[in-house]
Amino acid sequence: MAPRMLTVVLLLCFTPPAQSQSLVADLSTREVAITTGFTGAELLLFGATEGSGDIVVTVVGPQRDEIVRRKERVAGIWVNGASVTFEAAPAYYRIAASKPLDEIASPAILERLQIGTNRIGLFTRSQRPADHILTFRNALIRNKKRMQLYSEDISDIKIQRGRLFRSTIPFPVNVPIGEYLVTVYLFKGGKLVSEEEAPLTVHKVGLEAQIYDFAHNRAPWYGAIAIFIALLAGWLAGVIFRRA
Amino acid sequence: MQIYLPIAEMSLNALMLLGLGGMVGFLSGMFGVGGGFLMTPLLIFIGVPPAVAVGTEANQVVAASVSGALAHWRRGNVDIRMGIVLMIGGFIGSTLGVWLFTFLRGIGQIDFVISASYVLFLGIVGLLMVIESIRSWFRSRNPAAPKRKLHYHTWLHGLPFKMRFRRSKLYISALLPLGVGVFVGILAAIMGVGGGFVMVPAMIYLLGMPTSVVVGTSLFQIVFVTANVTFLQSVNNQTVDIVLAMLLVVGSVIGAQIGARVGARLRGEEVRIALGLIVLAVCARVAWTLVVTPDDLYSLGFGFGGGR
Repeated sequence: MAPRMLTVVLLLCFTPPAQSQSLVADLSTREVAITTGFTGAELLLFGATEGSGDIVVTVVGPQRDEIVRRKERVAGIWVNGASVTFEAAPAYYRIAASKPLDEIASPAILERLQIGTNRIGLFTRSQRPADHILTFRNALIRNKKRMQLYSEDISDIKIQRGRLFRSTIPFPVNVPIGEYLVTVYLFKGGKLVSEEEAPLTVHKVGLEAQIYDFAHNRAPWYGAIAIFIALLAGWLAGVIFRRA
Repeated sequence: MQIYLPIAEMSLNALMLLGLGGMVGFLSGMFGVGGGFLMTPLLIFIGVPPAVAVGTEANQVVAASVSGALAHWRRGNVDIRMGIVLMIGGFIGSTLGVWLFTFLRGIGQIDFVISASYVLFLGIVGLLMVIESIRSWFRSRNPAAPKRKLHYHTWLHGLPFKMRFRRSKLYISALLPLGVGVFVGILAAIMGVGGGFVMVPAMIYLLGMPTSVVVGTSLFQIVFVTANVTFLQSVNNQTVDIVLAMLLVVGSVIGAQIGARVGARLRGEEVRIALGLIVLAVCARVAWTLVVTPDDLYSLGFGFGGGR
């Protein structure tokens, strides 16, 4: 099954040139619904700029603690050893840009806006030496990229006729639920001239949502019902096949 | 047909899961085993987080053993007194086991402990099965060979709290079945199995129960213990995926019925050798994952399933 195409349209103001407002955006759809048939989703982002410029789009998912563990070989067997916990790390991060980041703005500006996977703000209380922390930090980003939860598509955004642009935002099947923030930046001559934000919700709907909520909010009942269904299914199977 | 599993938080092909259930059900019906020890590693191999595989399998084993337990109950093949003592031990063991599971998950060692338990127990049980079957196969060719004594008297029989188990024709310390129950309960919680592959040999060789009541009594205990594991895993870890469990149950109950009919036509020793070899193959496959150098030495340990 092809990933479902959800369309997020950035509604744009094609209003007469007002220098202060060179990029105005809104999202027509603000939710990704995880249903029974969910195999991932792809959002399509449209936009336009006021005159020429460089576009950067970031999508930042809900924050949570991430533990990075390193495996060590003990008597020939690989066992989890040292670990570093990064607090409030984004569960999802995506960046797309119209050209290489270093051609768009200075490192200082990119650093301040946390644009680029190597610039994501990751905080740890770990007392390890800085180079160790960096290794674990890189491992976090590498693992997240492999799980398709962090992604970088530089030069992916094509600006057409000097003003129209589009970009896709892929959400893999393991996309974490929660609140997301889509930010569109417009740079001109290395300077940030405009910035638009749009929130986005990823949530489970229907039976999936009910089962998930039930399992987490009414755990004892969930357990009891799981047992009951299993007993019923087993008993029923016995009855049916005894007759057959 | 992809289906999103709400607890495992992944999408798998529903037909593949039905087929997997059917295949394991077929083997379990043919060999008269629960199948948990095959299903849990298979689920992990196809990418289900180990913690979810274990919690969900416990739920599936409840369904897989209840019809067998009822059938044996009707035929009077359950030693209820023995079953209750085993069950009390099983409750203690599985409660300890789930607590240990939660703790190990917190410190990031649960995946390793699950795999290591599989290698250890499948290795021992598989080897014993193969050796025992080859021996009895040779004995059947050479009827002049001396028969082994069925029941040895050891210090185990001098333990206090003796109880009479009429149905099993035994007068032994209640601590023995209680201990077996505790041990199997811990295994059930950590490995996501019923534990029949450990309990049945223990009942025959350690407790000295007559084989006629062994299977029925062990199934009776397994239903209660796996139900307890299902409940505690749901409460402590939220790792029981009902959708996944149901797909596996549907496949396995059908597979088990076909397997039982095929198994009835095969010779006992051959069946046991085949089962022993399958057990050893699963053991080797799990052992491989422990010794092979991982593609990435670093892994993420957030939330469900530890090292996903």
